[in-house]
Amino acid sequence: MCHHTVPETSKYHRKQASNIKFKTMKITGYKLDKYIEQLDRAIGDANYPKGDDLMGMSILRIETDEGITGMAPGGNDAIESLFHLIEGRDPRGVVGLWKEMVDWVHKGNNEGAVNAAISAIDVALWDIKAKINDEPLWQTLGAMEGRAKAYASDIGYNLSDDELHAFYSRMADMGIDGGKIKIGLNMKDDLRRIGIMNDALRKVKNRPYLMIDTNEYWSPKQAIRYISQIEKHFDIFWAEEPARRWDYDGLRQVSRGISAAVASGENLNDVGQMYPLISQQAIDVANVGVGHSGITGARQVANMCYAYELPVTMMNCPANFMVHLAAALPNHNMMEVVDPGREDAFKSWDNHIEDGWIVIGNTHGLGIILDDNKISALQSIELNRKPGFPFPRREGAGLWIKDIEPGEVSWK
Amino acid sequence: MKITGFSTTLYEFPVSRRTGDANSPSGRIRGSASLLELYTDEGLTGIAFGGGGAAPQIRSMVEGILMGEDPRQVTGLWKRMVDRAFKGGHDGIVNDAISVLDVAMWDLKSKFNDEPLWKTLGGSNPKVQAYASGLDYPLSDQEIEDWYGTMAADYGFKGGKLKVGLDQDADLKRIARMKKGLEHATDLPNLYIDANEFWNPKQAIRKVREMEEQFDIAWVEEPARRWDFLGLRRISDSIKAPVCAGENLDTLGDFLPYFHNRSADVIQVSHGMSGITCALQLADAAYGFELPITLGGSPGNLNAQLAPCMPNFLTLESQGPVPDDGVMTSDIKIVDGWAVCGQQPGTGVSYDPEALAKQKVESVTASSGSSPFGRRPGAGLWDNPPTKEEAAAAATGVNGTFYVPPHGSRNQ
Repeated sequence: MCHHTVPETSKYHRKQASNIKFKTMKITGYKLDKYIEQLDRAIGDANYPKGDDLMGMSILRIETDEGITGMAPGGNDAIESLFHLIEGRDPRGVVGLWKEMVDWVHKGNNEGAVNAAISAIDVALWDIKAKINDEPLWQTLGAMEGRAKAYASDIGYNLSDDELHAFYSRMADMGIDGGKIKIGLNMKDDLRRIGIMNDALRKVKNRPYLMIDTNEYWSPKQAIRYISQIEKHFDIFWAEEPARRWDYDGLRQVSRGISAAVASGENLNDVGQMYPLISQQAIDVANVGVGHSGITGARQVANMCYAYELPVTMMNCPANFMVHLAAALPNHNMMEVVDPGREDAFKSWDNHIEDGWIVIGNTHGLGIILDDNKISALQSIELNRKPGFPFPRREGAGLWIKDIEPGEVSWK
Repeated sequence: MKITGFSTTLYEFPVSRRTGDANSPSGRIRGSASLLELYTDEGLTGIAFGGGGAAPQIRSMVEGILMGEDPRQVTGLWKRMVDRAFKGGHDGIVNDAISVLDVAMWDLKSKFNDEPLWKTLGGSNPKVQAYASGLDYPLSDQEIEDWYGTMAADYGFKGGKLKVGLDQDADLKRIARMKKGLEHATDLPNLYIDANEFWNPKQAIRKVREMEEQFDIAWVEEPARRWDFLGLRRISDSIKAPVCAGENLDTLGDFLPYFHNRSADVIQVSHGMSGITCALQLADAAYGFELPITLGGSPGNLNAQLAPCMPNFLTLESQGPVPDDGVMTSDIKIVDGWAVCGQQPGTGVSYDPEALAKQKVESVTASSGSSPFGRRPGAGLWDNPPTKEEAAAAATGVNGTFYVPPHGSRNQ
């Protein structure tokens, strides 16, 4: 029998010596900072092609009695009504605490603002858990490699042809071989713009992955007609949100009516809402993200999809922080990179794109370091207008297509 | 932390009560187990029990994949092992090897964090519901009442699971005796029954319906074959009790027909289904389908460590409140009918080196191996109650006769 003793020089031994105090650990408080961020470009889709370059943002911090603070991009005032559930508790019990929060909001359900609050708390607790372990979150989640394949996403209906080309060229220069473009309002414009994306990405490979996204603007039959025409010109990898988020019959109809895969799910809040999409085979790729009730909830969705042999694709987020989870999922294909410049509150974040992959570094937790001076500066900026987020739904959605009006976007 | 090597040790032990099911009503008097130890350069050793017949597959996985890797990256390493077994499928013996290696790596991951596994997995409450499972086919009516009586009075178990299936009149009496025993803890015990795939669907419907005239059955386990999703669904539609199934399936994908057809009302999960990594996936997938899960019998009740992080966990099978093989030790206690995980880092399941040295064997004798009986003749076809010889052997108790009926025997 081989019985090892711990060598005093080992990393484990040093860790134990410094970590004894963490035998008990308690959540003591939280801090929520809200601010408005000026983006590098206007973000807009079929519902709001003009878009907006102001984004309302927030950062949640959860404090502990051991001096370790967890953070999450996101959070809102609903946190106040949930905090009593986690106060005084050990943050390492994040999955159990997730369940307690979800059970607490039972009657009104885990949706909307409450869902966003639970999501942010969950992320901040995972950040703490990884920081206690002195490791990046991807390792806490058991991933072998801190990386996930990336695709580029403009969310830029307002971008001119040149700007669109410049965006995808910049992404292609980092080795990214897939792109997702916002379309849906004018076939001629859309075909031209998909072609521009295709040309830019062909720097990387001859047949880049081409994705199109209409953000629920069409009815199922509109989607089938529209996408079928696009497919005469382009090989489309997936069509995202071609019908309403809950319309599992319609999404399934679209999937049967086109060659491309149907992706959806980003506007749903948890695994329960994903249930019909998955069990009715309404989608071929699941969009998962922090909006599915945090890292804990997103992992549940991904695992449920795994049982159904469905790939998942991780949604975009500030500093790509959800890449930590993407790296740990066995059925993740590629993660959305938007990069609109919404990291002004961060001193640094530890991931970068290399050869088409988001590569995570070894900074502990989510790897995001906050800068309080920057946050204060963002909070003190005087603005003469309010952010356009969240977008309203565009007139005609699901009924007829309201073309882009002259002057509505920069290029028309 | 790097994996540097492994060892496996086989040992045998006399059982503390005769155990068997519908396929082996005369029962066994000796058991065997295999201890896996996974060594690291940090001096920590990962421990797991099981995989007795899988030594060559364990060696191949360690030498081909795990050597030199960091066991904290267990989810990613799990994927590598599963992908390596791609062509032949990760079931059977290969699956045993993956499972046991995965458990040993999770043990190392939480030992490195100096915390119990339930906390590594994100659980916030280490106390989980449990029921007593007698594996009691060889026991007499009086012994059944006594055993469940002891479990209820001394350990507080409020539920019990009886092996049934070969003789309806005898089973009705036996259920009543289990109930009487459990009434030492509660007026309303949970009565589970388990036929271990001995019936066909219509046999199951007839027999369970008759039982339900007298008893409120909390679930019926494996009332038809593991892969017969149509039959299981039909049974569930025809009886009041939930159908509980899945313990003989190997991995997440095997459950897809169950999920898609709602064949089982309670999903059986265990670390033996491609390890803890896959057990977590499986529980999440079941959660998405609004299905409760039950964790199966495990060495030292190890599966209790998984329950706190599973939002849809129902109850844990305990085949004995304390390890009784003389070698194994466990930090998981049964208190007032709950399994309570302790603070010992890792799975909390370990061994006594001196006892192991005494009970160690070079190879396992057939009668103490994992399946000395195989499937019983008549299964799914006709009734085949215990023969006189089987009943006589069963009556000799733990120190008595081991008896395997001649192959193909039947009494009708």
